[in-house]
Amino acid sequence: MSRFLAQKIAQYMLVIFITITINFFLPRLMPGNPLIFLAGEDVAFLTEAEKASILENYGLDKPLGEQYTIYLKNIVTGDFGYSYQKKMPIADIIKDRLPWTLLLTGSALLLSSLLGVIFGAAAAWRRGTKTDAALLIKFMFFNSMPSFWVGMILVALFGATLRWFPIFGAQKAWMPLSGWPYYADILHHLVLPLTTLVLISIPSTFMIMRYSMLNVLGEDYILMAKAKGLRENAIKYRYAVRNALLPVVTIFMLQLGYMFSGATVIETVFAYPGLGRLMFEAVVGRDYPVLQASFLIITVTVVLGNLLADLLYPLVDPKVRR
Amino acid sequence: MTRWSEFWKIFKEKKLGIIGIIILSCFVILAVFAPLLAPYDPSVRVAAPFLAPSARHLLGTNDIGNDILSELIFGTRISLLIGVIAAFLSISIGLLIGLIAGYYGGIIDSVLMRIVDLILVIPFLPLMIVLAAYLGPSFWNIIIVISILSWVRPARVIRSQVLTLKTKAFVESARSLGATTRRILFTHIMPGVIPLALAQFVLASSYAILVEASLSFLGLGDPFQKSWGTILYYAQARGAFLTSSWIWWILPPGFLTTLLVLGFTFTGYSLEEILNPRLRRR
Repeated sequence: MSRFLAQKIAQYMLVIFITITINFFLPRLMPGNPLIFLAGEDVAFLTEAEKASILENYGLDKPLGEQYTIYLKNIVTGDFGYSYQKKMPIADIIKDRLPWTLLLTGSALLLSSLLGVIFGAAAAWRRGTKTDAALLIKFMFFNSMPSFWVGMILVALFGATLRWFPIFGAQKAWMPLSGWPYYADILHHLVLPLTTLVLISIPSTFMIMRYSMLNVLGEDYILMAKAKGLRENAIKYRYAVRNALLPVVTIFMLQLGYMFSGATVIETVFAYPGLGRLMFEAVVGRDYPVLQASFLIITVTVVLGNLLADLLYPLVDPKVRR
Repeated sequence: MTRWSEFWKIFKEKKLGIIGIIILSCFVILAVFAPLLAPYDPSVRVAAPFLAPSARHLLGTNDIGNDILSELIFGTRISLLIGVIAAFLSISIGLLIGLIAGYYGGIIDSVLMRIVDLILVIPFLPLMIVLAAYLGPSFWNIIIVISILSWVRPARVIRSQVLTLKTKAFVESARSLGATTRRILFTHIMPGVIPLALAQFVLASSYAILVEASLSFLGLGDPFQKSWGTILYYAQARGAFLTSSWIWWILPPGFLTTLLVLGFTFTGYSLEEILNPRLRRR
């Protein structure tokens, strides 16, 4: 393993450690009874036995250092505590929700990167023309729209008014399907949230691809290719786009953090049962432990995505390959 | 490329900047003169709830009978103020960290930049949601939550500018003449950084406005000082997208947000183009 990779892994471990530490200290530093922040606002409805079990679980009567050890041990063993509001272990809730968020963000990441690259390359190839300016302004506009607002408009138009797509959820819960209808149903529910997330995510890839392609087009080897009399398409795809892709690959996975931020609000609009929607439910219900666990899982996912990008990068960039 | 096309390019970008400035001025006027321009007090129940647009209420009324148009006009104040104050705070922190890291270099620099790298990996919005949920919904809490995380990108940009300025002859000569660190930083390096910080401030404002809208939409905004995001939160909670009321209840606040953000983006983009010669050449 290279030194670079080892450094990266150390950095990522630190990020997760910091996240866990933030999660540990927030409820304990807030004024008032930490029990409220650990069990959620329903603390008044808990029985004495339940309160005692929370105290015992989190070791609240022990010194802070010991509490922290208990906290770390619980997290490492996959015990995120209990949601008194949903009456379920938090780990089980997360297990239900995570796949939906991964489906939404993963497909949006692929689609928006692809479209961003295509439009970015097209704009840079026609730099200074009306097409370039029009694309640039169009994507600046997309970049300025609140993501949830785009979602709300799509729901109102294509969901409630035209009834082309369902307005909430990820599948028809009351109609157990299997085989093709099952996947078609999931896809049908995915269209609107996915479109929203893709629309607001294209601009960043577009900007980077356009800028990178402009740089590449100024290189001598492009001039050389033109001088050799190569066909325009050969220059465009084999020389320019291929080299301009590198920075896009670098940010491909870094986009993941941005994607999760977008998904959080978009899932809320569509009542899509992912981690983002879960965070919203937790905010509304003051269910702090669920809020923290979702945040931790999102961070871990983003970190893993970054690590994946670091591992794959040498495959794409021959200059880094040894 | 010919000079003509280059000239056209810079001109076009400046035109974009001018459009941006015009948009921003309109919003500032709207915010300052809100009490004069709004037909009603947005916090008072002035008619029956859920009214469709009419001559008396151009954009209808909301779920508790507030005039939506007045809500929007007063919401300009909240959205604009939160965005600008949060951006100002982030840039101030970013400027300080960038100056220190860039000027001192060595261990201080690498520690600070490591911290920046760490923060950049954490997904911002989920962390902001957690922080805002603990702090509780209020005007200032939203600002704190946004600026506590948004200083990192500006800090990086400003640091690299300081690194270049540091090696310039006028800084070297000031140092050899025995100028104090403080003097070098504030009279020699600062002026070179301020224009860049301004461009970063404008871009940070557009970011902060969008984040504020998202947080408010999730119910973390101050319910007594409604921003455009808070208006959309209530519209969503009352299912406005299920009826035709989305046209006057959902479209306008989001459109205003987009326009305001676009104003900042256009202005910031042009500023960057003019300030960054590397961008200008191409």
